[in-house]
Amino acid sequence: MSKNNTQNESLKQELTEEVDAIKHDLEEEVQTEDNPVNEILDGMGDHDVFSWGPLHLDILPVILYDEGQFHFYGNRESMEQSGEYTTEHHHIVDANTHETPDLDLSITNMVAFQWIAMILLAVIFFTVSRKAKKNGSNPPKGIQNLFESVIVFVRDDVVKPNITGKAADRLLPYFFILFLFILVLNLMGLLPGGHTATATLGVSAALAIVAFFIINYTAMRESGLKAWFHHLLGGAPWWLGFLMIPIEIASLFIKPFSLTIRLFANMVAGHTVLFSLMGLLFLFQSIIIAPAIVGFATFINLLELLVAFLQAYIFTMLTAIFVGLAVGEHSHDEEHAH
Amino acid sequence: MELGLLGAGIGAGISVFGAALGIGRLAASALEASGRQPEAAGDLRTTMIIAAALIEGVAFFALVICLLMAL
Repeated sequence: MSKNNTQNESLKQELTEEVDAIKHDLEEEVQTEDNPVNEILDGMGDHDVFSWGPLHLDILPVILYDEGQFHFYGNRESMEQSGEYTTEHHHIVDANTHETPDLDLSITNMVAFQWIAMILLAVIFFTVSRKAKKNGSNPPKGIQNLFESVIVFVRDDVVKPNITGKAADRLLPYFFILFLFILVLNLMGLLPGGHTATATLGVSAALAIVAFFIINYTAMRESGLKAWFHHLLGGAPWWLGFLMIPIEIASLFIKPFSLTIRLFANMVAGHTVLFSLMGLLFLFQSIIIAPAIVGFATFINLLELLVAFLQAYIFTMLTAIFVGLAVGEHSHDEEHAH
Repeated sequence: MELGLLGAGIGAGISVFGAALGIGRLAASALEASGRQPEAAGDLRTTMIIAAALIEGVAFFALVICLLMAL
């Protein structure tokens, strides 16, 4: 009797475990398929093909580094036709072994968007410089006027107040390009169907890494290697070094990290709000609520326009401030003045 | 899973609460200062925007952590 009971018990336990496992699998499946958060992040994230709104073009080259050699393909289709690699669940895998390649250096949608921004800026700059040459000392007109005012703004309000001496003139082109590049990327994301390249961690991290090198290179060049190491003490007496040096080294890396997160999160946040508002339209499906949602979405879109300018300004401004702080009071001009 | 989502939501709310308090105080002080000294309004605005960006950066750290928790 008791033996029978224990058998029943174990059978029961096995069954419940099995049911639980199936339930768990089902829940997971439902979550990966129908989670609106995942869908939104998927729509905002990077893609393998060039996409603008409903337009999806398979025109981006695939570059793979696998087992010590590079593989180049014109686009996804030619990669699959070659029979060496294929796509599985949006990931490139070896057609035979089903393993991911060592390194995927493919040109993605966001890279394409950055290239568009670069071409746009290059065309504008050449137009403006040609106009400026032709115009001579006459007052600037049209697009030249616009860009001269932007240059003057970056020079007088961002670079000069924060960076002293020759470094300001040397770094002015960098700050000017940084400002306009971020601005153009942000604004391209606000065009209907466009993607915001700065709303991917990789792009904003790359911009911040460049800023990191600019900050420390300028500091070393302007105040010398000795002063740069001295500033790791943070102005404290030497015996506090055991405390100050780790903190200052951490702050060297926290600066670009916070620049990355700020730009990335600001751009993602606005787009997420817009996506969610648009999602409400499909949730309610009523003509009474629609005007309110559309009105609010328009308002958020206009707010995004402000944020696009503000974040470009903040990124440039904070980089300038960090450069100024890193160069500090040890710059050559002031040393000569003492 | 549901508790994780709840925690993420509450965490996001609290971090936004803190950031809102900070930026609100900052804006109030900046307005007060530029009311007392209108000729310094331009400088104050720049400094205010930078400080707001720094506060916002910290709040975004918290929000990103909450978002990662929810996923």
